[in-house]
Amino acid sequence: MRRHPALVVLAVAAVLALAALPGALAGSSADPGVTATTILIGGTSPLTGPAAAYASVARGAKAYFDSVNATGGAAKRKIEYKIVDDGYNPAQTVQAVRRLVEQDDVFAVFNTLGTEHNLAIRPYLNQNKVPQLFVASGATTWGRDAAEFPWTIGFQPSYQAEGLVYGQYIAKTKKGAKIAVLFQNDSYGKDLLVGLKAGLGRSSSKVIAAEPYEVTAPDVGSQIAKLKASGANVLAIFATPTFAIQAYVFANRLGWRPLVINNGVSGTANIMLIASEGGKNKVVEGTITSSILKDPTDPRWKNDPGMRRYRSILAKYANGANVNDIYHVYGMAAAFETVGLFKRLGANATRARLMVLARSVTSAGNPFLLPGISVKTGKGDNFPIQQGQLQRWTKGRWVPFGGLWTSKRN
Amino acid sequence: MSPRVTRIVGFVAFAAFAVFVAVLPAFINDFKAQQYAYVGIYLIALLGLNILTGYTGQISLGHGAFMAVGGYTTAILMAGNEPSIACSSCDGPIGGGMKDIWTIPIAGLVAGLVGIAFGLPALRLSGLYLALATFAIAVALPPFVKRFEELTGGGSGINLFGLPEHTGSITNLEIFGRSLTFNDWLYYLSWVVALVAFAGAWLALRGRTGRAFRAVRDSETAAVSSGVSLARYKTLAYGISAAYAGVAGGLYAIANTFVNPDTFPIALSIFLLIGVVVGGLGGLTGLVFGAIFIYFLPLWAQGEDLGSLLPNRIIEETQKPGGPAIVYGVILILLMFVIPNGVGGLFRRVGQLLTSRRYSRSAK
Repeated sequence: MRRHPALVVLAVAAVLALAALPGALAGSSADPGVTATTILIGGTSPLTGPAAAYASVARGAKAYFDSVNATGGAAKRKIEYKIVDDGYNPAQTVQAVRRLVEQDDVFAVFNTLGTEHNLAIRPYLNQNKVPQLFVASGATTWGRDAAEFPWTIGFQPSYQAEGLVYGQYIAKTKKGAKIAVLFQNDSYGKDLLVGLKAGLGRSSSKVIAAEPYEVTAPDVGSQIAKLKASGANVLAIFATPTFAIQAYVFANRLGWRPLVINNGVSGTANIMLIASEGGKNKVVEGTITSSILKDPTDPRWKNDPGMRRYRSILAKYANGANVNDIYHVYGMAAAFETVGLFKRLGANATRARLMVLARSVTSAGNPFLLPGISVKTGKGDNFPIQQGQLQRWTKGRWVPFGGLWTSKRN
Repeated sequence: MSPRVTRIVGFVAFAAFAVFVAVLPAFINDFKAQQYAYVGIYLIALLGLNILTGYTGQISLGHGAFMAVGGYTTAILMAGNEPSIACSSCDGPIGGGMKDIWTIPIAGLVAGLVGIAFGLPALRLSGLYLALATFAIAVALPPFVKRFEELTGGGSGINLFGLPEHTGSITNLEIFGRSLTFNDWLYYLSWVVALVAFAGAWLALRGRTGRAFRAVRDSETAAVSSGVSLARYKTLAYGISAAYAGVAGGLYAIANTFVNPDTFPIALSIFLLIGVVVGGLGGLTGLVFGAIFIYFLPLWAQGEDLGSLLPNRIIEETQKPGGPAIVYGVILILLMFVIPNGVGGLFRRVGQLLTSRRYSRSAK
C-alpha cells in the first residue's frame, strides 16, 4: 500500500499536463465597453477600510454621471460607472482592476483613488492599453512619466507643486520659521515633503523635524509629541483626514499652538469643523491650506449656479449623502471633465482616441472648481490642473487670500 | 467500511477531483480561471494552517505574515531591488533575475525556517498567549517590511508585471506545445502546486507524525507520557505550516504580479483562520470549500458574481460605504449557526448517516 500515494500524485500530474485545455481568447476589433448607446467605465474606491471616507469621491462622480444620463447621456451614450471596493489596499486594487478589465470589459478605468493603488495598476493598464483616466491622486509621476505610461493621466495639482506653494508661503511670511512635518510614509506624504523643502529654498526657514506614520497605524499621538519636543513653531500636516484630525487634537492636548499648514487632502471644512471640537480646539484657527474646489459649506457659493447644481444632483442621485462633504464635489469635478471627453468622442470611440482627447483638454468652465481654475493639457503638459487657492481657516470657515497660484514646474 | 476501503475511496475521490480541476478551465471563462487560481493558492495556505491549528491544536493569528515572507522572497528573487519611484536613491541591484516558478520552493523554504524560528519561543506559550504572540507578528510585519525599503520597495512595494522573469504576460504563452492564456497558466500553476501540497499534507498526517500531532492537540500531558516530544512536534508543525504559507505567498505574488506591505494585511491572517473553521478543523477535503469561501465571499458581499442574485435591496446596500463588511459579517454568523463544524464536519455527518457505522478515520 505504501507506494500508492506517490503513483496517484504522478498520475495526477500527468493528467494535468495533458489536459491543459486552453480557453479560447475572444478576438474582436472594436474596443470593449463602448457601444453606440453606452459607455461602461469602472474604478476602485475604498468603500471599506481605514480610508472609507474617500468613498464619497466615487459617489459624487456616480451621481453626476446619473444626472447626465437622465438628460440624454454624453453624445447619446449613457455612462455606466461601476465602483468596486478595494478597502484602500493596493493588492485588492490590482485584483479589482483586473476584474473590471477582464471580466466586466470596461472602456476605461476612471478616477481610481490612492497613490500606491494607482502605481500598482499602472503597468498592467498601460500594457493592456486601457486608459487610466483622471487618477485621484496628486503624485507627480502621473504627469512627469507620461511618455513611459501614455495610458495614465492625473487630475489634481501634484503634491510636489502643493508642497512648493506652502514652502514659498512660509519662506515669504514667516522668517526663521522652525517647521515640524507629520507625513504619511508613502509617496504621497514624501512628495509633499519634497515640495515643501524645495519651496523653502535657501530661506532662513527650515524643516527641523519630520515624523512619518503608517496608514495602518491607530494614531499619531507619539509623532505629535516628538514634533512638539523639537521646538518647532510651524506644523505641516501631510496626512489623510483621520490622522489630520488626530494631529490637531493631540497638539491641543499637549498645549502646542504652532501655525498649522494642512494639505488639501484633509483641508476641507467638514474635517476642520470636526478637528475644532466644537470650538474648544484653538489649534485649528489660522490653519493654511490649498484648495481647487468650491467648498459646499462656504457661504460664498450659496447662490452659485454650479453649487446649486451640485446640491440638486446630490439630493436626487445620491440619496442620504452628506451635502457638506466636499469629496462629492471632487468626484463631480472629475466626472464633469470625463463627460466633456466622452461628448467629443463621437463615432470613433476608441481607447486610443480617448487618450488623445485627454491629452489635449482646454476646459475653463468646470462648475465645481474654484473660478479661474482651468483644466488644461497639451504638448509637453500632462498635468490637467496646475492651479490652486491658498486659504486661511478663520472663525469656522475658509477665507481665501492672495489670488490663485499657478505651478510652472510641477 | 474497513480502513482499506476508505483509503481506496479516498484515492478515487482525489483522482476524480484532480481530473475535475484539470478540465475545469475549458468550461469557465478566462477570468474565472484567474479567480480559481487564487482559490488554489488559498487552499495551500489553509492546508498548512490546518496542520498547525486543526491537527496540532496550536492557534495562529499570524499566518498572513508567513505568506508575506514567501511573497517577498519570490518578489525579491524575481525583481531584485529595481529602483522604484518611492526609492529613487536606492543603489545597486540586489538579487533578481530568477524565473518565477523556481522561486516557489525557495519561498516555502525561507518561510518554513522563519516558522521554525517562531515555533521555538512559541513552545513556552499556549492558548490565548500563543494567539496573541502570533497576532503580534502579523501586526509587526508591515512596518518591518517598510523599514527595509531598499530591498522591499517600502510602501510602494514591488511590481512584477511585465518582468522577463514573470512567465505570464498579456500575450498567450506556449507550454508543452499548447497555447495558454496568462490566467489559465496561473490556474494550472497554482492547482498543480495545491494538489501536490494536498497529497503531501495527507501523507504527512496519516502516519506516525500525524498521530503525534493529534496527540499533542488532544492532551499534551498524555502525549508526553506516550513518548511524544512536544518540542519536536510543535516546532515541526510550525515549520511545515509556515512552509505551506510561504509557498502560497510566493504564488500569490506571482498571481497578483505585485506585493506591498498591505498585500498581506492582518485581515488576511484572520481570513485564513475563518477559512479553516469554515472548511472544518482537522480535515483536509473541506478546506477546498474554505478556500472558495474566503476568496469569493468578499466579492459576494459586494454584490458581485453570485452576489448579484441577491435581492436588489441588499445589493444597493453593498454599494454604500461599509456595506460589504456588514453583509460579510452577517453571512459568517449565519454560516456558523448552520454548520458549526465547517464543511468538513458536514461531510463527516453525512458520511456517518450513510454508512450508519462509525466513520473510523475521522477521529474528531
